[in-house]
Amino acid sequence: MKKSIVSTLVLVCICAVMAVLLAITNAITAPTIKANEDKAANEALLEVMPNGEGFEKVDLSAYTLPATVTEVFKETKGGYVVKMTTTGYSSGMVIMCGVNPDGTISGTVCLSSSETLGHEKTFGAGFTGKDAASVDAVDTISGATKTTQAYKNAVKDALNTAIILGGGSVDLRDEAQILNDNLSAALPAAEGKFTKLFITEIIEADCFDAVYTADNGAGKVFVTENDGYEGNTCYTAVDKNGNVTKTTYWEEALAAYNILTASTVEIIDLKAYEGLPTALTSAKRTATGNYILTLNAAGYGINGGSEYHPASGQYILVMVSLTKEGKIIDTLTLSQAESTGIGDACADEKFYGQFDGKTAEDYKNIDAISGATITTNGYLKAIERAFECVTILEGGAANE
Amino acid sequence: MNKNSSMSVLFKGILKENPVFVLILGTCPTLATTTNVVGAFGMGIAALAVLVCSNILISLLRKIIPDSVRIPCYIVVIAGFVTMVQMIVQAFFPALYEMLGVYLPLITVNCIILGRAEMFAGKNSVGKSALDGIGMGLGFTLALVAMATIREVFGAAAFAGIAIPFLEPYKIEVLVKAPGGMMVYGLLIALVYALTHGKAPMKKSFSCAGCPNAGNCHTAACGAENTDNVHNEAATEKGGAQ
Repeated sequence: MKKSIVSTLVLVCICAVMAVLLAITNAITAPTIKANEDKAANEALLEVMPNGEGFEKVDLSAYTLPATVTEVFKETKGGYVVKMTTTGYSSGMVIMCGVNPDGTISGTVCLSSSETLGHEKTFGAGFTGKDAASVDAVDTISGATKTTQAYKNAVKDALNTAIILGGGSVDLRDEAQILNDNLSAALPAAEGKFTKLFITEIIEADCFDAVYTADNGAGKVFVTENDGYEGNTCYTAVDKNGNVTKTTYWEEALAAYNILTASTVEIIDLKAYEGLPTALTSAKRTATGNYILTLNAAGYGINGGSEYHPASGQYILVMVSLTKEGKIIDTLTLSQAESTGIGDACADEKFYGQFDGKTAEDYKNIDAISGATITTNGYLKAIERAFECVTILEGGAANE
Repeated sequence: MNKNSSMSVLFKGILKENPVFVLILGTCPTLATTTNVVGAFGMGIAALAVLVCSNILISLLRKIIPDSVRIPCYIVVIAGFVTMVQMIVQAFFPALYEMLGVYLPLITVNCIILGRAEMFAGKNSVGKSALDGIGMGLGFTLALVAMATIREVFGAAAFAGIAIPFLEPYKIEVLVKAPGGMMVYGLLIALVYALTHGKAPMKKSFSCAGCPNAGNCHTAACGAENTDNVHNEAATEKGGAQ
């Protein structure tokens, strides 16, 4: 019994002595270890802000920041290093961007990513020295639009974050949100749900760039971009009872509203006509004699295909409205399966919007989709067919 | 030569009773940390520091520590010193700390240290125990550096991280992998055996008499194959289990 007590005591004493020694060592080394760890953590930050002296993590809970922002470090002299996770071609692209106190970018790196082409590894270098005004001048890389556009947006987010943390305010809404908010402001009865109207009638007044219809039928909003009087976009709402907001264009809007709501269409039996292109899948005629055609365009999905971008085997489905004289009123890409990030730009209004007002003579005067010649040519061929169709449907002979 | 003379205690660890090549202790850290010279040297010095400190303390306490709890006592002392060394390396040699990784805290269960505590420090004076710790530590360090030199120079065409360009096309990459480590290890054991003419360890291999400490061992059982083997084998097994 005595022996076991002695053994226990000895072991406890040794443990106590070692614990004291450990405590002393820890007291000596702990500050150095902490300093080393901070230094290692700062090394990554110094990469994007080489002149940084010390960094301190910012508590973000009190701020509304862009959704991509995950961490922010404040530099002693007032700059910020912003860490963001965004989605380029695939998700999980982590970008770190340093913003100097004067609002210029001190450096940008991609910490981790799973993009296919690797442009994100070098793309950041181009942003150094840029500020909010000049960041748009950095061009995205053709063929890696998704990666580089996401990168660019992340850099803009970093600049906005620095402004917000510095006490400023920034409009964080994207284009679609801004549009929706403005439309809602013009026509609150729509409850925030709008669809862009595919125009099938000629609106005499040439002052509207787009028309949106409330999904619940509350009315329509006519949009005039770059309003000459106010220098910004003008939204003229006409509700279902014909009440119009008194903007500069209220008379034109009311007239257009009446034309559009009075419009009726009949389906054309394609078998009744000979020589129609097989690309034509359906055709309608309005009471005013305009045509609404849907056509298959053979783009990259049919005529393309390579090792890295296999062809999808699908047509681009294009809807075109034209007058009986063969002038395009509106164009819309209904569906497409072109290469992601390249040919899929044919579904962007920036591309098909170019055909508005074009005729058989000048329809080729548009900006092709960068890096997607096959898609562009297929689309142009479909537009050409649309003009042929109108000629045939109007009773004339086909050109070919 | 008197086996217990101070010089003999100091130098036997370097070649004749080299812990790595003759006693075949500490195999795991030997294979793991000898892919580059810097790591091997760091590991050797860290182990040397722990070995000297623990040998001194255990020797000081050898009269106090009851036999029945000596292994827990040794482990507490060794683990304490290892943790101290770990803190010091982390604070002042962060690069080495990164390089050694988990093998630094694992010095705790390095059977060289427990082996020396059990076989030597627990039975000898403070001075001799310190010399034994230095000798064994140097032996361990030299063994590691020798092995790391071969593996790094011929396996990675570099020495202490400095590239040797003319060896680049001829490097034998398997040497920096585990099987290559085993091969180098085996060859070095053979070389040391040849150098020492197989004297020390192979008299009666694997018996207690074969133990290089048979001369130091005060247990009467040494020289005969009986229960005392259990002590030494237990110590070896501890190491073998890591």
